[in-house]
Amino acid sequence: MNESLISPFNITHPTTVQTSLFALASFARFDPTGRYVATGRVDGTATIWDLDTRAAIRILDGHVKGVSSLDWSRRSRYLLTASKDWNVVVWDLASPCIPAQRCMTLRFDAPVISASFHPRNSRIILALMTTGEAYLVDQRKAHRCRVELCEMQDDSDEEGAGTSTRVRSAITVARFDPSGKHIFLGTSRGHILVFNARTKTVVARHRITGAGAIKGLEFTKTGRQLVSNSTDRTLRQFTVPTYQPPSVDGAYVEMELEPTHRFNDPINKTAWHAMCYSPDGEWLAGGAADAANHKIYIWDMSNDGQFASALDGGREPLLHLHWHPSKSSIASTTNQGNILIWHCPHPERWGAFAGGFEELDENVEYEEREDEFDIEDEADMIRRKMKEEEEEVDIDTVPEAAKPREVQHHGVTAGDEDIAWADEDPDEDLQNWRMRVIMEEDWDM
Amino acid sequence: MDVDTPAQPAHESPPAQEPSAPEIPPQIKSEPPQPKPGPNYKMKYSMSGHTMSISSLKFSPNGSILASSGADKIIKLWNTHTGEVMRTLVGHTEGISDIAWSNDGDYLASASDDKTIRIWDMTVGTEIKTLLGHTNFVFCLNYHPNSNLLVSGGFDETVRVWDVARAKALKVLPAHSDPVTSVAFSHDGTLIVSCAMDGLIRIWDADSGQCLKTLVDDDNPICSHVKFSPNSKFVLASTQDSTIRLWNYHTSRCVKTYTGHTNRTYCIFACFTNTAAKYVVSGSEDTKIYIWDLQTRQNLQTLEGHRDVVLAVATHPTKPIIASASMEKDLTIRLWYDDDYTP
Repeated sequence: MNESLISPFNITHPTTVQTSLFALASFARFDPTGRYVATGRVDGTATIWDLDTRAAIRILDGHVKGVSSLDWSRRSRYLLTASKDWNVVVWDLASPCIPAQRCMTLRFDAPVISASFHPRNSRIILALMTTGEAYLVDQRKAHRCRVELCEMQDDSDEEGAGTSTRVRSAITVARFDPSGKHIFLGTSRGHILVFNARTKTVVARHRITGAGAIKGLEFTKTGRQLVSNSTDRTLRQFTVPTYQPPSVDGAYVEMELEPTHRFNDPINKTAWHAMCYSPDGEWLAGGAADAANHKIYIWDMSNDGQFASALDGGREPLLHLHWHPSKSSIASTTNQGNILIWHCPHPERWGAFAGGFEELDENVEYEEREDEFDIEDEADMIRRKMKEEEEEVDIDTVPEAAKPREVQHHGVTAGDEDIAWADEDPDEDLQNWRMRVIMEEDWDM
Repeated sequence: MDVDTPAQPAHESPPAQEPSAPEIPPQIKSEPPQPKPGPNYKMKYSMSGHTMSISSLKFSPNGSILASSGADKIIKLWNTHTGEVMRTLVGHTEGISDIAWSNDGDYLASASDDKTIRIWDMTVGTEIKTLLGHTNFVFCLNYHPNSNLLVSGGFDETVRVWDVARAKALKVLPAHSDPVTSVAFSHDGTLIVSCAMDGLIRIWDADSGQCLKTLVDDDNPICSHVKFSPNSKFVLASTQDSTIRLWNYHTSRCVKTYTGHTNRTYCIFACFTNTAAKYVVSGSEDTKIYIWDLQTRQNLQTLEGHRDVVLAVATHPTKPIIASASMEKDLTIRLWYDDDYTP
């Protein structure tokens, strides 16, 4: 609601650190509602912070080794933590138990480096092992399975002698696209493999020329753009093609993807630790792997990827960054485990303290209306005011702009089979769940 | 003549009905909408228990409990459906001016002249937190929709935002130049509205604590109560010139005025009904309770029965129930039900 009163013209990318959370964390992620931030620690715990109070409100202790990644379900009720202790733990934040109890554990046979929920159903989980294998685990009764996603070994039907030597490349990144229709896997040999989440078959295979191993993949909210991070220290933005439904015979598209933009640091040639789009996709933030500085580069994607600004977060090098799901805010993690919350401050308008006062940037000649200072007959005035008040008021309807909108995802059509598949047997991640406010014990009393 | 089109809300009377002869004040020229079956609130329960003036009444978020506070330093919880007292909360050392439920119904906060705010756990009925910081009487308070923050105002002329779970003041806004009489969050928690005896209504950005708007009426009467409309597009403000105004704070325009009651001395609550029929309800110093139609601003019903100034009124979150409470000479809490109401 406050947007309408704050001048809309100065809402832009974050510029300054608003607050810093002493979290001892290795990374931090905002939840989809934007009310919380979750941090993962090397000691195996994860912490949930309330952004309103900037206090740790839940500590999730479920791993014996460091938390390598975490993910929120779409309405923030469930949280997943993946760890190098070979486990993925799912937490239900609606549970009233304190300390928080895990609601499910998935055990794999290798350390897990990343895991994520399906964007539409938290019972489908994608996990990636340090050994380079990616698994899709479906916990739903009717679909229960654990499938390894791997490239098809189809060297027989390819011509030429060179292909037979092709070895299976390790998977280095595994991500759902925002609609959840496809899974994007990045490989150590610079390929992006696209799987259909429902059939678990390959629909496309993209070669990224010159990239080296893929280190990261991030999508815009709509899923139309994709940015990759790779060992050649370049971020590449791609426009995601529209994929055909998987064919029965297992055929897939083999296509080289040409980046629309490339971002790198031409002087220092620093690598990138992380990148993230703003919620409207108009900005891209890149966290530089600078060993001595905390630097975030921001590019203006609505302006053809022009470099906009470099944010300096001080001496502690950056490990990770994540953009807020709706606001102009970034959470960046330092190597000391502190979380910097960046925001875009609004200039104080002192004129707001005086009623009926309007601030002007420039002097304007005051033009008096013809009848402005005419003395109005009191009865007329009352009548006029009464007349004005005749107008109906609506005190209930929340303006559309203030409601969270369903994003139109790229490549999703009405009655999509893949979406229907994901929505089957849904989780209990409903709109109106709530996390109980826990009163902290008084230490000083 | 303006006859209403059939595209009317469901609570309107059937279109077959004839528009009745206008029984309205002569200054309104246009024909009113078809007559609605007006409110017909009747007293169902009269409860006594407080020994000094009752300052505030609030229904719990699910409507099953009515909480009342008074100058006798106690809070009482009443069963809305039977009128029986359920519990008495004792702890404050001075009179209580206001109470507020957390949106999940787990906690109740109370503001007192002992300069503290106390948080009561509703599941066990005990005090679990004391918020210290106000340097003078705490007069008003309200919860954030997420129940994690609390906003309060008092005679130290500040508005404070609290982290409830840690009993810590997050922000102290030097908001007004006179005692703050009312303060509330918008439905999404991004805005705070406050009003004070200096006659100003201010809208604040909850996150940054910046003042975004000030509403002021021409002759600056003491502003005694303010709250956001359910969609937070308007604020309903009571002033001690016996007027309640509905402000569109975007345009700084008063869009409705409700008059007829008496309010010159006390900070009297006003509220919206939460049923499909939209009314504005307020207490009055002439011992009555006034019910106005939100749109036409006509006084549709006056509830009589109290024998002293009606300070506190509250509307049930879903049902057509009004609670009211009166001062020293009466000390009863009354529950009024509209049994004829059909949505």
